[in-house]
Amino acid sequence: MKLASNEFLQASSAALLEEDKAQRRSLIGQFLPLARDAAASAYGDFDALRAHMKRVRRHTMTHLSHYLEQFEEAAVQHGNQVHFVANAEQLNSKVLSICQAHNARRVAKGKSMVTEETGLNELLLKAGLDVLETDLGEYIIQQAGETPSHIVGPALHKSLAEIRQLFLDKHKLGDRELETVSEVVEEARGVLREQFLAADVGIIGANALIAEHGTSMLVTNEGNGDLCANLPPVLIVCTTFERVLPRAEDAMALQRLLVRSATGQPQTCYTSFYTGPRREDDVDGPLETHIILLDNRRSDILASDYSEMLDCIRCGACLNHCPIYIGVGGHAYGWVYPGPMGSVLTPLLTSLEQAHHLPNACTSCGRCAEVCPANIPLPDLLRDLRQDESVQQLKPARWRNGLRLHAWLLRHPGLYRSLTGWTISVLGLLGKRRGAFRRLPFAGGWTGQRDVPAPEGGGTFMRQYAARRRRGGKRG
Amino acid sequence: MAESVRAELFARLREQETAVEPEQIALALAALGHAEPARTPHADVHTAFLANVLANKGTVELARDRGAAVQAIGRYLYQRFRTHKLVAGNDPRLAAMPWRDGGVLPRFGAAENGDSAALSYARLGVAETGAIVTYTGRANPGRNNLLPEDHLVLINREDVVATLEDAWARIRHDTAASGWPRGIQFIAGPSSTADVEAQLVMGAHGPRRWHVILVGDTPAEVLAQASEGVRAPS
Repeated sequence: MKLASNEFLQASSAALLEEDKAQRRSLIGQFLPLARDAAASAYGDFDALRAHMKRVRRHTMTHLSHYLEQFEEAAVQHGNQVHFVANAEQLNSKVLSICQAHNARRVAKGKSMVTEETGLNELLLKAGLDVLETDLGEYIIQQAGETPSHIVGPALHKSLAEIRQLFLDKHKLGDRELETVSEVVEEARGVLREQFLAADVGIIGANALIAEHGTSMLVTNEGNGDLCANLPPVLIVCTTFERVLPRAEDAMALQRLLVRSATGQPQTCYTSFYTGPRREDDVDGPLETHIILLDNRRSDILASDYSEMLDCIRCGACLNHCPIYIGVGGHAYGWVYPGPMGSVLTPLLTSLEQAHHLPNACTSCGRCAEVCPANIPLPDLLRDLRQDESVQQLKPARWRNGLRLHAWLLRHPGLYRSLTGWTISVLGLLGKRRGAFRRLPFAGGWTGQRDVPAPEGGGTFMRQYAARRRRGGKRG
Repeated sequence: MAESVRAELFARLREQETAVEPEQIALALAALGHAEPARTPHADVHTAFLANVLANKGTVELARDRGAAVQAIGRYLYQRFRTHKLVAGNDPRLAAMPWRDGGVLPRFGAAENGDSAALSYARLGVAETGAIVTYTGRANPGRNNLLPEDHLVLINREDVVATLEDAWARIRHDTAASGWPRGIQFIAGPSSTADVEAQLVMGAHGPRRWHVILVGDTPAEVLAQASEGVRAPS
């Protein structure tokens, strides 16, 4: 997928002006956190579950070569062909060559963020294949020629009216009206059912790989991934090597975290474990199965200070809880992964140079870390990326010099206090009449949206604090 | 290409890892234990299972024995589709049922597009999540769970386990002799989507309705208790 993260500032400013979409996003930001909280507390000790998963993940990552080898061995034993690929291009050409080896014409695809990352569809379509996304949200944005705005609900930015118009344009509808959500779903069901039945190849992702059994776990509500995995004669699972977990029970712990964090459900409709092609006595299922394990810089991340980011289970909770994501929406981030997780992943999977605005799209409010089921310290990783940004001189010189000056000032508390004290008295005097400032020098970006309240009497916080301590004694 | 990519990846991973004997890794893994299951609405596994099936937007029924199950299926098919037709896998447990008594005409094999109803005999039910578990194979082709309009499921009382961990212990036990199946499917509700306007709609791609029949001697109060506080699916 094309990277446009460098346009984050312009794209987010534009997004803030789209009233209808902004309202839709703010509903997501209200509803999904409530659903997540209710599901987490109904579970029991959700924090203990998060801590357990973290221990399992640390153990797995410490012995990753062992578990990856165990997975590969078991998967091959069950008849899978396992392929390791280093980058997007290799994954795409591997999938294409499998399709071509079977003279495939039609491909049914389940939801896979990994193939969004590699831009697989574009290559397959160019090669003349008829590729349809079968997750309803993915299908809608594929028809619209858009990219996902959310990793769980890719089309949540679109209204029913927009989707209706899209289907009117793309489908031969006759006199069907499509006035309700049910009618829209029914319409897509008809088109996609036909693709499932006729597809030569099914492509799905994986929510986890289980080393013990060489199996991959697929979690969906629609069952579209399951149709992709059961009907076409060839199945390709596209995922990344670090999805591996030791035991089926570990995948269960992950699933408990995932569904509650993503949609607030205690369990999705379908949780399936696929392990190779049809067995000798079977009457259905693919005749050939491939598992493609992508690296795409993940082994670099594993070796870096950002390795915890690989614990991410793609639930989208950090998006739903992020004031920036809810404010500007997923498209502003300019790539596959938006929100806090995307602001860490995008610079690591592409380059900081091309995506250095994203780690700055953070208020350090910490809500993402509070709800992250994988206990990833997202605000810390974002701060570290901002540090890298500064070291690599990607920020404008004015910013860097300003920060340097600020840092120097902070190391001289006496000077800092007298300077801030002086500034506050001056501002207090100047703003006494109106009580607020419309404009301030060097703060145009801030005052462009709101007034700055003028300081009231009493001096700086530190001065008032010291005075209070003197009055109330040491314990004051 | 793939061979060198694989070799390079493993070399990189091993470079960062301290070499430990597999036995040591296994000990460290065992020491981690398993996660706690979710709290269930009822202490009794059958009540909890039925309550969770209902919460998953399924419908439930009790059948004292296989004869009663056939009667229940016959009634369901007639009410929903005015038909007696049904597709079911080649499960010996299904083949031995008194179909004629309930006026049901099963076709044994794989479901096709256009089949209105399919019946599965579940291997397991999980009280923690209200899911039923099937293994792909002749006894239950994977597509039978996915293609029909309605998915009917029989589950024996004794096959309902409390937690997901209990389910995997049973799966390992079941497959020790028969071999690991191509697919293991945990199903918890009709196919659904909330991708348009975040509004929940049943029958996204697969079954629109999911009907679970618990087979065995279950007191009627169990179902009454399970239904309490659970909103009926619309």
